[in-house]
Amino acid sequence: MNLPDLDHPLAGPFWAAVSRKELQVPWCAACDRAVWYPRPHCPHCQGDLHWRRLSGEASLISWCEVTGGLNPHFREAYTCALVSPLESPDIRIVMRVTQNPASSLRCDMPGRVDFIPVQQIGGTPYMAPAFTPYSGF
Amino acid sequence: MPALSLQSLARAASVPAGGTAMPLEDIHGIAAITGVGETAVSGPSGRDPRQMALQAVAAAIADAGLQPQDIDGLMVSGHIADQITPEDFHRYFGTRGPLWFSTDGGAMIWAATCAHQAALAMRTGRARHIVNVFAVDWATRRAAGTGTPGDWHAGEEMKALFEVPLGWYPQPVYFATFARRYMHEYDLTEAQLAAIPLTFRRHANGHPGAVMRDRALTLEDYLARPALASPLRREDCCLISDGAAAWVMSPAERAADMPQIPINIDGVGHGRIASAPYISQQLDLTSTPQVFAAPWAYAMAGTAPAEVDVIAVYDCFSSTALMQIEDLGFCRKGDGGSFVQEDRLYYERTRRQGGIPCNTHGGLLSHGYLLGASHVVELVRQLRGSAANQVTEAQRAVYAGFTADEAATLVLSRRCA
Repeated sequence: MNLPDLDHPLAGPFWAAVSRKELQVPWCAACDRAVWYPRPHCPHCQGDLHWRRLSGEASLISWCEVTGGLNPHFREAYTCALVSPLESPDIRIVMRVTQNPASSLRCDMPGRVDFIPVQQIGGTPYMAPAFTPYSGF
Repeated sequence: MPALSLQSLARAASVPAGGTAMPLEDIHGIAAITGVGETAVSGPSGRDPRQMALQAVAAAIADAGLQPQDIDGLMVSGHIADQITPEDFHRYFGTRGPLWFSTDGGAMIWAATCAHQAALAMRTGRARHIVNVFAVDWATRRAAGTGTPGDWHAGEEMKALFEVPLGWYPQPVYFATFARRYMHEYDLTEAQLAAIPLTFRRHANGHPGAVMRDRALTLEDYLARPALASPLRREDCCLISDGAAAWVMSPAERAADMPQIPINIDGVGHGRIASAPYISQQLDLTSTPQVFAAPWAYAMAGTAPAEVDVIAVYDCFSSTALMQIEDLGFCRKGDGGSFVQEDRLYYERTRRQGGIPCNTHGGLLSHGYLLGASHVVELVRQLRGSAANQVTEAQRAVYAGFTADEAATLVLSRRCA
């Protein structure tokens, strides 16, 4: 079981923010872009990074409806996705999708990042970022 | 033909943005595959992977007309547990001579790149007859709950931190997500994608060693099946198998005097995405690193897709096979869905008839999951003219190996190089 690691030097701030229903990513001020997955320094300029809170505006790059039982960590069916935040569309953050079943989803649709509780088999619940499409799209 | 410099290979093998080709030096004309061997491929069997490996090695040595003491090089996987060691080889065959040993062999991309390593070892006099072997018992392990193909991904640090807790795991989820994106960008339909599992199944139905030899699959069957990880069904996902496969590589000048038709190793390419190992961040979700590997292999071999008669691609999923067929240059990016219709991948539809026979043993989807090792054995049989589903006048073959973040290409031929 891989639960969110709030003490990990590279991942802890992301999961701590998610637990407060915020989306934060490591940001390079000099390059004005997110560094994802997190690293100690910017891979482009070697500069320092700071954690930046994002607006939550995002677009759905792609998604997958997962049948219950395929993933040994989760009992129920769910939908997960690759999501690009508005502020740094070059990165993709793995998220859940609040809509399940996912029949109305389509790639590149805009939406916002919400937060929903998820629970692995035998684990305690935790908050997860989840893409919610804007209505009307 | 003299060897090409790295500079001229790099010039001839320009690749798109988003990844790189490894600078593999020219080895064409040095080595040939002179023997192949395999065990039965099966579901859970309880068979020991080292025993399976040794049986496959013994079969390959016999096929090459050699004796165990003639083998002075051994290549195995350094990435999959329970492969054989030189000590295992000596104990099994009662040999004691020096054995050049490399863990850069096995299957996946290494089923291609091992040929490059082997040729270099021959050129520098480290070995003459080198056997590459791969064994796997994931069917037994999965049934026993002692391991799955997803273990590496679950254990990788960033995947464990940012993918696994959100449910982007295991591999069917990755490639279903990419397949969905491909469908969006190129209007691929599920019925079009079905041509891949259906054609490979027909090949398995004609191959006595295929796990799915007795199981027919129709389009109606396929479309009626539920999604496993949408848009992929179970039929779009590889089998999980037990088995082993091996092949002997020998210096080209010796191969001419050996009993089998020598299969020349003409070109090898190896590519990697810039964001490796994180495929979620790769620049183009609808292509594979085969776009970085294949041009180098063609340049080394002095050939092009138009001159290839039969291919074997790493079909962990139907959609990854589709993308690699494009990325190998057999049709334009995005045209794969229509290209694979009308039996174009079926062994009876030759290049002359506009086809490109693909995975003629049934592939990972319907022959067995030996991670590409059986693909190379099948191509050797095709070029020898002894395959179960024999392609008419097959002269040149390409194997496309894949790990997700890396790909490799192996060009083989039966003509004099």
